[in-house]
Amino acid sequence: MRKKTRRTWLVLLSSMLVLSMLAACSSKNNDPQPIASANNPGTTTEGDTDKPQREEITIDVFSMLSNFSGEQTGWFAHVLKEKFNVKLNIIASNLEGGGDIKFQSMMAAGDLGDLVVFGATDSKYLDAIAAGMLLDWTKDGLVDTYGKNMQQYAPKALEKNKAQFGGGTSIYGIGNEVGAESDGPSEALELNYHPNLRWDLYEQLGRPEINTMEDYLPVLKAMQELQPRSDSDKPTYAFSMWSDWDGNMMMNTKAWAGMHGYEESDGFNPGGFTLVSADTEDVQGILDENSYYMRGLRLYFDANQMGLVDPDSITQNFDEAVNKMRDGQLLFSWFSWFDDAYNTPERMEEGKGFHLVPFNEARSYSYGFDPYGGNRVWSIGSKAEHPERVMEIIDWLYSPEGNMTANYGPEGMAWELKDGKPVLTALGEEAFPANKTPIPDEFGGGVWDDGRNQINNTTFKSTMINPDNGDPYDYSLWTSTLAKDPTKLEENWRSVMGASTAVEWFVNNDKIAVQKSIYTGQPYVEMTDDLKQKQGQVASVIKEYSWKLIYAKDEAQFNQLKDEMINKAKGLGYDDVVEFNKEQHKVVFELRKNS
Amino acid sequence: MNPVVEPKRKRINFSISLRYRLLLYAAPFLVLVLIFSYFPLYGWTYAFFNYRVGFPLFETEFVGFKWFTSIISNEYQVQEVVRVMKNTFGISTLGLLTSVFPVIFAIFLVEIRTNWYKRLVQTLTTLPNFISWVLVYAIAFMLFSVDSGIINKLMISLGLQSQPVNYLASSEHIWLKMTLWSLWKGLGWSAILYIAAITSIDQELYDAAKVDGAGRFRLMWHITLPGVMSTFFVLLLLSIANFINNGLEQYFVFQNSLNKDTIEVLDLYVYNTGLVGYNFSFATAVSMLKSLVSIFLLFVANQLSKWVRGESII
Repeated sequence: MRKKTRRTWLVLLSSMLVLSMLAACSSKNNDPQPIASANNPGTTTEGDTDKPQREEITIDVFSMLSNFSGEQTGWFAHVLKEKFNVKLNIIASNLEGGGDIKFQSMMAAGDLGDLVVFGATDSKYLDAIAAGMLLDWTKDGLVDTYGKNMQQYAPKALEKNKAQFGGGTSIYGIGNEVGAESDGPSEALELNYHPNLRWDLYEQLGRPEINTMEDYLPVLKAMQELQPRSDSDKPTYAFSMWSDWDGNMMMNTKAWAGMHGYEESDGFNPGGFTLVSADTEDVQGILDENSYYMRGLRLYFDANQMGLVDPDSITQNFDEAVNKMRDGQLLFSWFSWFDDAYNTPERMEEGKGFHLVPFNEARSYSYGFDPYGGNRVWSIGSKAEHPERVMEIIDWLYSPEGNMTANYGPEGMAWELKDGKPVLTALGEEAFPANKTPIPDEFGGGVWDDGRNQINNTTFKSTMINPDNGDPYDYSLWTSTLAKDPTKLEENWRSVMGASTAVEWFVNNDKIAVQKSIYTGQPYVEMTDDLKQKQGQVASVIKEYSWKLIYAKDEAQFNQLKDEMINKAKGLGYDDVVEFNKEQHKVVFELRKNS
Repeated sequence: MNPVVEPKRKRINFSISLRYRLLLYAAPFLVLVLIFSYFPLYGWTYAFFNYRVGFPLFETEFVGFKWFTSIISNEYQVQEVVRVMKNTFGISTLGLLTSVFPVIFAIFLVEIRTNWYKRLVQTLTTLPNFISWVLVYAIAFMLFSVDSGIINKLMISLGLQSQPVNYLASSEHIWLKMTLWSLWKGLGWSAILYIAAITSIDQELYDAAKVDGAGRFRLMWHITLPGVMSTFFVLLLLSIANFINNGLEQYFVFQNSLNKDTIEVLDLYVYNTGLVGYNFSFATAVSMLKSLVSIFLLFVANQLSKWVRGESII
């Protein structure tokens, strides 16, 4: 009898052991981030000696834009700890299955976290409001007490949210990129979408002329032959893509539409299966023969046949693509910011680096200034335990000081004021824009790039003037930066292109399409549930086939897959969604005329 | 023996008859069955509503059988379901075919005479069963990834390949690859039952056969194999009833746009349409089909058992 019980115990114990082993494994997967910042609780009283020390809290930040998950570390964590005694735990839906999976499971659980960042004012945002998952900022006068900066610096952005999404009485969030009230492009040096190439290699080739987007391929092939290996001796590619940002379609393919002045959204309605011109009334269905989307897929297919596409594209995420860029494995960038990791000061001084190499058909998409703010919304979860402290942080980000600090660190670290104007310190010179430069322990330690604000949403348009010092927020537009001698790369580029910045080149050559901001006090028309279901199914077909088309073995397979994609998408209701999209765009075209 | 204790014992026994006592013994397990097998069926109600996450179920629109008819109302939707069923059945069939490997493995394992070596092999083959699929994928990634994968490096340095190849994104032979992964993971674990069955075979049978001059392979063929056959059949029948449940995790971690067509089994399809495609109700309707197919397969398996072995399992 005794023996038996002992054996039962053994079995129980061993199964518990196995279970705990499994649990240990899975918890390891969930938070891979070690706490790197050397936060010293003894030094927290510096600026706040008059206030009693507040209890430390951890804020769950659910960001649908972030590419980092886990606890915020480094200098930005240090700033928040000092100022608010707060830690950020970032939940990134991009890294948790992509798409809407994380959002859905958090909605089902009835809690979206404390600080919620939406990638668009789409049905997710509307659903979250309707289901009561977001906090009404007007309740208990919250925004009047804790939102002073927002009321001062972004009043129209609050007003827009109230009118469009809060039925005229409630405020559930505030949009990003709040700008000044003026016409013309809101960008200063570079646009979002434009083709940047390794300028040094392009020069070595004798700068062949590029007329259409397809003309890049032979140039890139020649560049690859010129530079077959990266710094760490890995093969080079023209295109290294990532699938974790794909929404209704493949993001890296859509980028070609942006370079022609077309975008998925018309600036008012959430996107669907159409590409809308920024400043004309032209609309393309993405599956139209010869749409920029289809041309993009064809271009990647040809590129893959030529060995220009990174075979890892389908299995990697954004971070891994950036690391390849840093290492010099890539020769092409769709976005002016994607090559930041390669353009270090040392390389640019040597004349190496990425710069705009436009094609003659280009008409790059430009966003106008929008005092009402963009569609990436900051909001607060209704289950937040300390809503006032979350709002304090958002409000601080909407202050000139907060915006500067969140982007460039506290004054005295990477930048300082000289005669009232901001100037980069030696550390800033080395670290900006995105280098792995070590940060002194007094500012939180770690390296510059990893310590940057990982929420990945903005507050003010970076070209707006900072009222504190009269310079724009963007460090590359500071008086002190502009006065500096250009790097060798910059010099080479300017002498050839006859313009001092990419934006200047686009404007001088009339190759820019500016989307005017529009505003109505009305919310946009939402799709019926039936259409939403169709859109979901069709989107997954389009994304799946887009990747397949790129990696198709030969012309015959490409054509066969293309037909399959179109038939399947149409069979599942693609046309209905496009028709709906087009109707909504018409409304916007009317508004554009009047604004 | 002790006169004081005896009347007490009688008092405990007096009211509950044997029948009810047995029922009481079983009761905790019946409750567990109710909780874990019947209560979840409540979730089927989602199939009759137009459910949106975050809203209470009964506040969303009641749509009756709309989602069920939409499975068959559209030609392309039917094609999708057929494709998914093909994957499910294909991978399951391969799984059934490979279920003989644990038997063979067990038979050969017990033949190993060196004790420490036998233990070592058994431990090493059983361990993968305790590794989660996510970690298995991490191993696969280390082996096959484009830039840092061992296989790519090896192939290039041997001159068999000029460029790195993305093996994980290839859609070729995906059923076979998946079966091999799950075989690797489950081989040692599945063999445990067979090893137990082999050890319970009467040693005298072996001795008698040896006297008759049987060699090692003869012993395996005529005594060990028939000895494990009944265990094998029971497990085979159970796995036939489980034919449609080939799980989610494995296919989920290995899926990508390029292999989705052939890797998407029913469970994964339900996940993809429900959580990724924003349509819980439709996914619930599709997953209900699964229960119907499962019940059908169970009866088929039972009938098979009756024919082959003359006894039924339910």
